[in-house]
Amino acid sequence: MRVNPYLTADLLAALQRTQQEEQTALLQLSSGKRINQPSDDPAGTAILLRLQDRLDSSDQYLQSIGSVRGQLQTADSALNSVGLALQRAVSLGIEGANGTLSDANRASIATELQGIQDQVVSLANTSFQGRYLFSGTATLTKPYTPDPNAALGIRYDGNAGTNQVEIGDGFRLQTNQPGSQVFGTGGNSMFQAMQNLIQAMQSGTGIDAAVSGVRASYDSISQHRVFYGNAVNQLDAQTTSLKSEKVELSSQQEAVAGADPIAAASQLSNAQNSRQATLQGMAKVMQVNLFDYLR
Amino acid sequence: MSSLFGIMSVALGALRASQGALEATSNNVANANTPGFSRQRAVLVPGDPVTEGSLTFGTGVMLQRLESVRDPLLELRLDQESQHNSQLDSLVSSLQPIEVMFSDSNSGLGDGITKFFNSLNQLSTDPASLTLRQGVLAAASNLANVFHSTASNMQLQRSNLDLNVGQAVVQVNQLTIQIAQLNHQIGTLEHVGQDGGALVDKRTQAIRQLAQLIDVSTIQTGDGIALTTSNGTALVAGDQSLALTAQLQPDGMLHVFSQDQDLTAQLTGGKLAGLLQVRDQSIPSLLGNLDTLAAGLANGLNAANRGGFDLSGAVGGDLLVPPPASGGGAAASFALAVNDASLLAASSDGSPGSGGNLAVLSAVHDQATIQGRTPTEFYADLVASVGSEVSSGTAQLDASQLILRQLHDQRGAISGVWLDEEAANLLQYQRAYQAAARVITTVNDILDSAIHLGKD
Repeated sequence: MRVNPYLTADLLAALQRTQQEEQTALLQLSSGKRINQPSDDPAGTAILLRLQDRLDSSDQYLQSIGSVRGQLQTADSALNSVGLALQRAVSLGIEGANGTLSDANRASIATELQGIQDQVVSLANTSFQGRYLFSGTATLTKPYTPDPNAALGIRYDGNAGTNQVEIGDGFRLQTNQPGSQVFGTGGNSMFQAMQNLIQAMQSGTGIDAAVSGVRASYDSISQHRVFYGNAVNQLDAQTTSLKSEKVELSSQQEAVAGADPIAAASQLSNAQNSRQATLQGMAKVMQVNLFDYLR
Repeated sequence: MSSLFGIMSVALGALRASQGALEATSNNVANANTPGFSRQRAVLVPGDPVTEGSLTFGTGVMLQRLESVRDPLLELRLDQESQHNSQLDSLVSSLQPIEVMFSDSNSGLGDGITKFFNSLNQLSTDPASLTLRQGVLAAASNLANVFHSTASNMQLQRSNLDLNVGQAVVQVNQLTIQIAQLNHQIGTLEHVGQDGGALVDKRTQAIRQLAQLIDVSTIQTGDGIALTTSNGTALVAGDQSLALTAQLQPDGMLHVFSQDQDLTAQLTGGKLAGLLQVRDQSIPSLLGNLDTLAAGLANGLNAANRGGFDLSGAVGGDLLVPPPASGGGAAASFALAVNDASLLAASSDGSPGSGGNLAVLSAVHDQATIQGRTPTEFYADLVASVGSEVSSGTAQLDASQLILRQLHDQRGAISGVWLDEEAANLLQYQRAYQAAARVITTVNDILDSAIHLGKD
C-alpha cells in the first residue's frame, strides 16, 4: 500500500487546526467568556440575553426606587408636620375649654387656631419637584385653594387617583394617597374639624366636642402616615432584594458564559505544544528523500 | 532468429523502453507538485517469442504505453465531497457577517428593547415629566434605528451574496466551455488508441473546480463524459457546453437559468447552493422574524397607547407607525408616529400626573404575544437560531473537511508522485539503460571478432 506523498496539505491542515485552538483558548482567556458569539453556544446565548434583560430591568427598578423615595419621604414629613400642628390645636382647644378664660382670651386662641388651619392647608399643598403630592393623579393642580364660595371656605381641586411604580417584576408599589383620602372630605374632613374648633372657640360653646373632632382627624392622619412609612420600608427591602437578585443573575451569567481559565490555559499550552511538534516534524520530514542519498 | 543482429535489436528495444520509462519518471518528478497530476507509469510488455526448432527465444521488451495511474471512482467521490464542502464553506462564510450583528449583548436589538421598557418604568416615577417623556421617545427612536440598521445590514449582505451568485455563474460557464474543449481533445486522442494522460488530469481538475461551484454529476458516454446538475440539467455533453445564465427576476435577485428553466431552487451543491441557501432562505427567514418582532412590538404598544390619555387629557393615538398589514417590512418601517412627548398616553384617568397606563405599556414587555413569547424571549430565540445555523454549518464543514482530507490522502496514495519511488525508478531504469548499452557494446565486440574471424 502506497502512502500519500503529499504531506504538506495534511500538515498545513493540522497547523491550521492547532492555530485555531490557540486562538479560541486565547480569546476565552482574554475575554473571560466561553461564549463570544452566538454559535459558540446558541442555547446559552439565548439564556444570556434573557438574563441580561432581567439584570438591566433590576438596575432600572433600583433607579426608580431612588426616584420615588424622595417623594414618599417628603409626603411623610409633611404629614408629620400636619400631625404636630393638630396636636398643638388640640392643646389649644383643651386650654380654651377652661371656663375661666375670657372672650378675649378665646378670641386670641381662635386666631392662633386660624393660623394652624392656614398652616395645614399649606402642608396639604406640599409639592415635590413641582408635583403636588396630595392631589391624586392631578399632580399639576394645587389641591387646596381658599374659596369663599365653598362650604368650608376651601376647595379640593385634586382627584381620587393613585399611581403605582413597578419596583420588581410584577411588584407595583402605590406611591401616593389623594388628599381627599388623607384629609377626608366634606363634613368629615380635617379642615372641617379645624373650622368647627375655631367657631366653637369664638362662640365659647361645644369646644369639647370640637376638640375630639380634631383629635379624630389627628388619629386618621397618623394612620395615613403609616402608608408612607410602609412604602419607604418596602423600598428599602426591595433595594436589598434587587441587589441580591443582581448578584444571583450575574453568577448565573457567569455560570453560562464564563470561561474556565484553568481549562483555557491548559488548552492554550496543549495547542502550542502540538503546533511546535508539528512544525518540528515538518522541518524534519520535508528535508529528506532518496535523491539526497543518490550522489 | 538467434542472431547477433537479433540480440542487437533486442538491446536497442531495451534502450528505447528504458528511455521511455526514464521520460515518464522525469515527467513525474517535474509534476511532483502539479495539482491534479496523476503519476504516469511505463507499461512494459515482453515481445512475442519466436520458436526455432525446439527453442523459444524472447524478442525483448516493448514500451506499450505510458499509463496515468488514477481511480475514477475515487475521483467521483472527491467531486461529490468537494460539492458538499464548498456548499458548507460558502454557507458558513455567508452567515458569519450576519452572526456578528447579533454577537454583542450590550448593544443591538435586545438591549434596545430593554432600554425602551426601562424608560417607561422611569417615567412611571413622574408621569408628568416632559424630560422623562422625551427619554421614552429617545429610547423608542434608538430602538427604531437598531431595527433599521439590522434589517438594512441583512439586505446588504443579501445583495453581496447576489453579486457572488452572478460571478459564480460566470465561472461555471468558463469551466464548462473548458471541459467541453478537453472532451473534444481527449476524444480525438483516444480515437487513435492513445491515453489522454495529462488532458484527462486537466479535465478532472476542471470538473473538480466545477463541483466546487455547482452540483455536478458525471456520466461516462461514448464520446467522453457528460455533466449534468443533480436534477438532470445538462451542462456539458461531449464537446458541447450549455451555458447557464443569471437573470434578474421580479424579486430583485438573480436566478440561475438553463435556457428557460429556473434552476435556482434546485441547486443542491457547491458554492452556488450555499450562497443561494443564505440568500433565499436564511436571510429572508431572519428578516421575517425581525418583522414579526417589530410588528408585535408596534401593535402591542399602539394598542396600549390608544387605551390611555396623553398629557393634555386627550385619548392616546398610535405611538409608532402602524406596521404594514402583511407584517412584511415591519422592521425597516419601525418608526415613531409622534414627535411630541406629551402625546405619550401615560395617563389612565386623563390627569397629567397619572401613570396608570404606563403599566399597560410596560406589560408589552412581559406578555407572551409574539408567537407565544415575550419580545425579549423572541429576540433571544432569534439570536439562538442564527447561532445554531452557524454552529451546525461549522460542525458539518469540519466533518466534511476531514472526509475531503482522507479522500485527498487516498488520491495521493494512488496517483501522487512519491519522490523516493521516482528516485528508485530513475536508478533502476538508468541501470537497465546502461546494461542494454553494455549488451550493444558486447555484441559489437563479438561482431568485431566475427568480422575479423579468419584474418591474421
